Amino acid sequence: MEKVKKKIGSFSFWNWVTASIIFRLILIYFPKNLNLSSRPEVSTPLTSFRRLAEGYWLKQSFMSPYAGSMYHGSPLLLSLLGPLTINSLVSVIADVVSAMLIRATGQNLRLAYLRSLESLDLVKQIEVSEFLFSGDIAALIYLCNPFTIVACVGLSTSPIENMAVILCLYGACSRLIPLAAFGWVIATHLSLYPAILIIPVIFLLGCGPDSPPRKLFLQRHQQKEVLNQSKLPPRFSWGPVIHFAFWAFLWSVYVLVLCGISLKQFGGLWEMFKSTYGFILTVEDLSPNIGVLWYFFAEVFEFFRNFFLIVFHVNILFMILPLAIRLRHRPCYLAFVYVAICSMLKSYPSVGDSALYLGLLGWFVNELADMQFSLFLFCGYVGVSLLSPVMHNLWIWRGTGNANFYFATAMVYACLQIVLVVEGVSAMLNHDRKLRNLITGKPQDAKS
Amino acid sequence: METFINPKSLFHLLLLPCLLLYSSIAYNSSPVEAAMHTNNWAVLVCTSRFWFNYRHMANTLSLYRTVKRLGIPDERIILMLADDMACNTRNKYPAQVFNNENHRLNLYGDNVEVDYRGYEVTVENFLRVLTGRHETAVPRSKRLLSDEGSHILLYMTGHGGDEFLKFQDSEELQSHDLADAVKQMKEKHRFKELLIMVDTCQAATLFNQLQSPGVLAIGSSMKGENSYSHHLDSDVGVSVVDRFTYYTLAFFERLNIYDNASLSSLFSSYNPSLLMSTAYYRKDLYKRRLEEVPVTNFFGSVMETIHTDAAYKALSRRNSGRFEDEMSLDQSVHHIKRRMLIKVNDGDEIHDINPELLQGEEGASKCPWSTFRKKFQKAENVDSLLNYGLVAMIPLLVISTWLVQ
Repeated sequence: MEKVKKKIGSFSFWNWVTASIIFRLILIYFPKNLNLSSRPEVSTPLTSFRRLAEGYWLKQSFMSPYAGSMYHGSPLLLSLLGPLTINSLVSVIADVVSAMLIRATGQNLRLAYLRSLESLDLVKQIEVSEFLFSGDIAALIYLCNPFTIVACVGLSTSPIENMAVILCLYGACSRLIPLAAFGWVIATHLSLYPAILIIPVIFLLGCGPDSPPRKLFLQRHQQKEVLNQSKLPPRFSWGPVIHFAFWAFLWSVYVLVLCGISLKQFGGLWEMFKSTYGFILTVEDLSPNIGVLWYFFAEVFEFFRNFFLIVFHVNILFMILPLAIRLRHRPCYLAFVYVAICSMLKSYPSVGDSALYLGLLGWFVNELADMQFSLFLFCGYVGVSLLSPVMHNLWIWRGTGNANFYFATAMVYACLQIVLVVEGVSAMLNHDRKLRNLITGKPQDAKS
Repeated sequence: METFINPKSLFHLLLLPCLLLYSSIAYNSSPVEAAMHTNNWAVLVCTSRFWFNYRHMANTLSLYRTVKRLGIPDERIILMLADDMACNTRNKYPAQVFNNENHRLNLYGDNVEVDYRGYEVTVENFLRVLTGRHETAVPRSKRLLSDEGSHILLYMTGHGGDEFLKFQDSEELQSHDLADAVKQMKEKHRFKELLIMVDTCQAATLFNQLQSPGVLAIGSSMKGENSYSHHLDSDVGVSVVDRFTYYTLAFFERLNIYDNASLSSLFSSYNPSLLMSTAYYRKDLYKRRLEEVPVTNFFGSVMETIHTDAAYKALSRRNSGRFEDEMSLDQSVHHIKRRMLIKVNDGDEIHDINPELLQGEEGASKCPWSTFRKKFQKAENVDSLLNYGLVAMIPLLVISTWLVQ
């Protein structure tokens, strides 16, 4: 029965993948210009392909690609994507590769979950046969998400950044340390924020993929009065972490040397750091986007600007430690939460960033089955993604609205993301609590 | 007068300042001879008010259109229109000005920039524009910002007479006022060459008093003759264009900016029987031969292109800025000399590189890194190295992953 189910499942999976690729190609070669690349939701100063084309032209004219403050990305992307006229095909390929990697990681996670359930002897109590194939679902969510499709067709570089992040997580889950190091270095190089993914990666390499807390295993085996070491999850081992650090160092040296060569005449690496990381951290460009920083920094007095920059960036940083402590046994989920927080509070968010964490959410459909407010969140996302362009149009093109209309939708969007993160974390912790109750024999929590 | 004290001493007294004056004039004139033609300006003045002087407005706007079409941008055109015909309540075609009864061309389109309009067109403002002596608050768009390399076209149309031109039906510009303004312009090096074109009755008398060198002037009629309108447009109700301007436009409509018709062909295209007056031009103050001067020197803005034989290479790009500076300063230099200039500079460049390469080869055994670095400095090598580095990332990744597994 399961084999048949699997076959049916995999058949329609590939169907969906092909359908989404065909849909992307249709949109790319659509005869009428869809103008997606000029939407502020899709292209930000960091991901816009037009700016990349300008940077490439400047480089070809023997000027620094950062002259004129148009391009703020990596010089390697210039050499890679500049000569290509059909950038969208690169995005399509990046999306497909990301989806395959998500599927593989999801399968990995699911197998690890099943294994941990077996070692906890909870296989009969939890309906394992009802488990959805989280890898397939996550891959399909990522591919068929309208956000991803829009980011792919709209000529932005976020599919490539997402691919780097997913590559890093895949490598860490499958213990392919050079791959993980490569993915992490490239993701940090392209946009600064994936640097905080080092913490989940360390946990993944040290302990292994997501599993219930170690305490539960000890409790289970205390009950049975058999201490079978092989059934316990391994202790935290530093070996792979040091290995990872070594490979990360190698790859970062490689990338920095390449960047240094390409920018030799134009100020070198310091110029690059100033224009890329400096631009992200100092929020120089205040054009509207779906984030919350532009509105605030348009009004703040010069005297307080540095202070508020620090406040906004520390907002991401101070959440790292508590979450790491609470979710250290579930590093992939920790990575998901970090990605969600980053894409909400980063300086120039776009829908491509949301596409990433919505795809990663698919890995945890089994654990988060009891999440509250799921319908509310879904409707909220749909509503915001429809209203936000309308408000933008009212404000900029018709002149009948003002910035507050647009910023209201941006705030609602941020609230939705916050609710998603909070509810997701509490649902995951409730799941762990449920497992603990099953082990200790207490009745299940009434809270759903 | 017989009040000479001592003729000889007076003569000596007068001689010294005369010598000084002459030497100063000589000093002043010599740099102007060497100045190169760098930009073109146009000052187009319509001096008549009232609806029945529609044709003067149409004259000026037609010339504005021609001059813009042949390349002079709005920043270099001062357009002075004394009245507003386009939005006049008597205009049956609001916001449209025609210069022909077939109404083929609307001269008052989307991109007409009028600098002086209505009552701002006065003799005082006109002379201020020419001499450049404005009040401090006058914006740059209303100033004639020419320099010693400018060719200026000055076109005036309206009602005129013997040695005067009528402004706004209330004041007049006299020929010696104009000559004085031109003399001030010459002293302040505000033009290299000036072409004055006047379309009024007895127009040639307006530049009787001119004495400054480098000025060419043409008027639509001589003393005692009237300049006539070309035809009446029964729809608009007034005459829409003057004959002199009509035939000037007929000459220019055949041209585009690539043609190099000469001024002499323009001047000889005026047929006195068609004009019903004699178009008289004054070329005694103008040193160059009219057959050699293209009309686009005044009526358009076509700059001389510099032909280079050497192809632009990636290396020489860094010095190309220097090339252009040198060549632009030397435009009067003969073509051959220019080519020699380029080749010499190329040779310099090659000379620069060769000793380095030689040095590198000599020291190859000692320091291969330095030759590597020399190769680095070549732009093409950097690009290809970068590409190799990027492409090599993938196989390195695959190999490292497979090895570690």
